[in-house]
Amino acid sequence: MEKNVKIITNNPDVYAEFSRIMDIVFVNGQYMDVLIAVRDKIHNDYKILTHPLMGSIKPNQTPYRSLMIESSDSLDFQSLEIIESSIEMCKKFLKDKSCPVWNEKVLEDFRFVDKRLFQSALESL
Amino acid sequence: MRLELGNIFIKDVQFGDTTKVLNGVLYISKQELLDAVSGDTRLTSIEIDIAKPGESTRIMPVKDVIEPRVKVEGSGGIFPGFISKVDVVGSGKTNVLKGAAVVTAGKIVGFQEGIIDMSGTGADYTPFSKTNNIVLVCTPTDHLQQHEHEEAVRMVGLKAATFIAEAGRNITPDEVKVYETLPLLDGVKKYPNLPKVAYVYMLQTQGLLHDTYVYGVDAKKIVPTLIYPTEVMDGAILSGNCVSACDKNPTYNHLNNPIIEDLYERHGVDYNFVGVIITNENVYLADKERSSNWTAKLAEFLGLDAVIISEEGFGNPDTDLMMNCKKITAKGIKTVLVTDEYAGRDGASQSLADADKSADAVVTGGNANEVIQLPAMEKVIGYLTPADTIAGGFDGSLRPDGSIMAELQVVTGATSEIGFNKLSATQY
Repeated sequence: MEKNVKIITNNPDVYAEFSRIMDIVFVNGQYMDVLIAVRDKIHNDYKILTHPLMGSIKPNQTPYRSLMIESSDSLDFQSLEIIESSIEMCKKFLKDKSCPVWNEKVLEDFRFVDKRLFQSALESL
Repeated sequence: MRLELGNIFIKDVQFGDTTKVLNGVLYISKQELLDAVSGDTRLTSIEIDIAKPGESTRIMPVKDVIEPRVKVEGSGGIFPGFISKVDVVGSGKTNVLKGAAVVTAGKIVGFQEGIIDMSGTGADYTPFSKTNNIVLVCTPTDHLQQHEHEEAVRMVGLKAATFIAEAGRNITPDEVKVYETLPLLDGVKKYPNLPKVAYVYMLQTQGLLHDTYVYGVDAKKIVPTLIYPTEVMDGAILSGNCVSACDKNPTYNHLNNPIIEDLYERHGVDYNFVGVIITNENVYLADKERSSNWTAKLAEFLGLDAVIISEEGFGNPDTDLMMNCKKITAKGIKTVLVTDEYAGRDGASQSLADADKSADAVVTGGNANEVIQLPAMEKVIGYLTPADTIAGGFDGSLRPDGSIMAELQVVTGATSEIGFNKLSATQY
């Protein structure tokens, strides 16, 4: 079976940069919405290639998240375990404090860091 | 490999006409220091200030903290791969200006991290309220990319520490500590009846602003390898990480890694500390699998009985920590983990983003979500306004009177995952 690699992101900068060269799903939502979209894909026999909590920026700080997944032959339990723990972690942070409404300069930096972290993962592909 | 660390106790730091150490006082010539660190056209200005223990001073946003060390005997020089050539370090003699630290500060990204308070509540949480700090605040040119900015500031810090340490080159140390690790087979021959223990040293390598360097190499590009513990004391490992204040390892912590120092304490008595395995924490899952396979393979290859594993950072590295633990345990080798926690503000939630039943011996450096209040300080070195956008800060973190309410995450070194701090937890 041919592997199908997909990007799932809510970061417009990642979308702009990679939409022409890679299969990309743009999630119009928050960090958590991206994780949930990834979880749904895992239940449809995808496995994750990059860690859902990459970077030290916490899920209630950055609104942006980009992940890479790949089609698999069957349900990948390791991916499921990682995404479920990550969703739990994300819920915990959001329970204490929701993601602030940032100004454009800060949002720009968050988009940039998310994109660069994602690029460094791509180099390993 | 044998290293003599000569500690020169620095009681005070003052500005002076020339840079020198006299009777335990470090005098810094501002001009000489500026000459040593200037020249990078990416920075428009570098301001130098001094912050002493007990003062009503806040430094923020802090990027790195570096201890001044100078190699006085033996091969190579401090910070190989950056300041010195890539000769192997870790043997001979190194002098340390103990009690002095170089702190770099500046706005690198819109969200900022790292507070060092020299007095008050915040001072209790950071080891760098006890050092005499030479602070360099760097301002970049307009539109400088964040990673270039980080690189420029990193080099300023390393150059400053190297320049200042030269003042200790010809001073007789107040205290000399000797650390020695024999080549593996000689060590095993010397202590045939002692259990063989190593340290698995996980380095932050997630990418932009989350990097660590080994002899100048970006550690996300390495496969796990062996390093003599004394190489670390000469700056073979240094920080390029400026995004996680409480639980990143500033360069100072790498130089003074307490796990390494403590393992030496009972070496040859209770166990044989054979060396250090360094590994990374990449974001790509296949990299994690490869690196954890290699740490386990090296642990087995060395014939180890036990390892201590420390991680750096939150979330993604928790998965590497558990993979290392699981795979090394599966080889029949005992493991102890060192981490910190994000257990929610009430401390009641799951602490790590990953878990495994083999992780049954874990030491914590504290809960980074704990909320603390930092009183206003009379003097601020750097910029106070990023307090609202630092990790653990939130809208309204910075109050009109200059005090800050935020999570412990904001304090540099507060929940160190190599135990270079005071916090922990004990179960009775």
